[in-house]
Amino acid sequence: MAEIQQNDAGGGKKGRQKKMAIRVDFTPMVDMNMLLITFFMLCTTMIKSQTLTIALPTNEKIENKENLNQASAEDAVTIILDAKRKAGSSEVDSVNGKVVPVVYYYEGKPGGDEGIIGADGKIHHENNNLKESAFLSSDAKTGTARGIRELIQKRNKAVLEKITELKKKYENGGFGSLETKEGREKAQEAYNKAASEIRRDSTLAKPVIIIKSTPNASYESLINVLDEMQINQIAKYQIDNMTQIDSVMVLDYRGMLNK
Amino acid sequence: MGRVKIAKKSTFIDMTAMSDVTVLLLTFFMLTSTFLSKEPTTVITPPSVSEDKVQETNYVQVLVSPKGQIWLTMNNDTSADYSNEKMKMALLDKVTEIYNEQHKNKPVKFTDQQKYAFSKLGSFGVPMSQMGEFLNLAIKGQEGQTDMDKWLDGTDNNPNHISGIPISKEQDENHLSEFQMWMKAMRQTDNPKLAEKIKDGSGVAIKADQNTSFEVIHTVMDNLQTIRMNKFTFLTALKGASE
Repeated sequence: MAEIQQNDAGGGKKGRQKKMAIRVDFTPMVDMNMLLITFFMLCTTMIKSQTLTIALPTNEKIENKENLNQASAEDAVTIILDAKRKAGSSEVDSVNGKVVPVVYYYEGKPGGDEGIIGADGKIHHENNNLKESAFLSSDAKTGTARGIRELIQKRNKAVLEKITELKKKYENGGFGSLETKEGREKAQEAYNKAASEIRRDSTLAKPVIIIKSTPNASYESLINVLDEMQINQIAKYQIDNMTQIDSVMVLDYRGMLNK
Repeated sequence: MGRVKIAKKSTFIDMTAMSDVTVLLLTFFMLTSTFLSKEPTTVITPPSVSEDKVQETNYVQVLVSPKGQIWLTMNNDTSADYSNEKMKMALLDKVTEIYNEQHKNKPVKFTDQQKYAFSKLGSFGVPMSQMGEFLNLAIKGQEGQTDMDKWLDGTDNNPNHISGIPISKEQDENHLSEFQMWMKAMRQTDNPKLAEKIKDGSGVAIKADQNTSFEVIHTVMDNLQTIRMNKFTFLTALKGASE
């Protein structure tokens, strides 16, 4: 390939030239190309980052408290994010420079109807309804939810069942044919619309999740919990500040308060 | 018996095909590559199931270090009307205006040369009071570049040099932190596409390390909420839904 054959047309004449092959050595060219490829490979970012969109309420003080939407106690699930601490202290215990997430939750009011701090101003340990959970993915084999996901799925069962039905309908072409690209896009759009309607359906029992976090919890666990909201089709959730009661419950749970 | 003669074969390997392949690969990488911009701190973004892709143009990146320092990057359109250089010069003018309004006794002023130097910066993040000094380094060109990098990394051993835009937990609409001033100025940009994206939330991307404490993130979110930028995005890495 890298040679040029020189055939002399004439023949039989006296000063006939020898057949010559001109060969071009491409090795240095390949070397240089490889270097350039290496350079470009190292300099580029192939994987684009993903983004997670979040909308928060404004910080403006609301004058008229009656206008506030209060989550009813039976719908409310409070998730408290924290980091693993060293035993008996509030220092963060990190493993290999990584903060280990810890997640607590309670359903309904803190401390139940009685309240953790009774009328006498003392702490009632027996009323502490805080439980510890973990960020666990679904079981790889059976697909059953574990950890905090199990709780959320249990609470959001009505919505999830409808969504599963909807997904089946989508897969069977209930929203239009999935054969062509255009059809798929259209079906996807219709599916998204129907799914969002189900998520907001007020007749279905669904939880309102309040996400709280201690200052030491990692950003990763915040993203994790927001992911869980997305995975489990939670329509109503909010990020809120820890109250004093919440702190008391966490400290009490960890046994840091004297009995 | 005569010896068996082995014909001498040429060891020449034809590299043409190889060369063809490498040139093809090279072309591919050249066309697909987007260069990594140098950032003052390296962060590992947390994994998430979210599949929304990051914006390529017209967005503001808020880089947050685990210590709570903040650097901003403004990415504008590729069109000449709203180029990065033009928009950044306007941005500096606007933020100077907002800053001087709040710090009437200590106003800052920038020369045209400094403004031009600012427009060439990638990510930026020093307090306004030190911006002039920082931009003077930028004017010096290559020599100043190393000093600027050292300043941002905190390795220049000058305790007066602060890296990162100041942010404060105690802020309200009349006492804005410098971070809020920058974000306000970003929102007032003349670039209509960027302004629209900031409004719907896709134009503000917060990039932070996965080990950053919630306190730091909360301060950033709170600062944005005060200036009514309630919608924004977090940059995350891809994670499978099954994980």
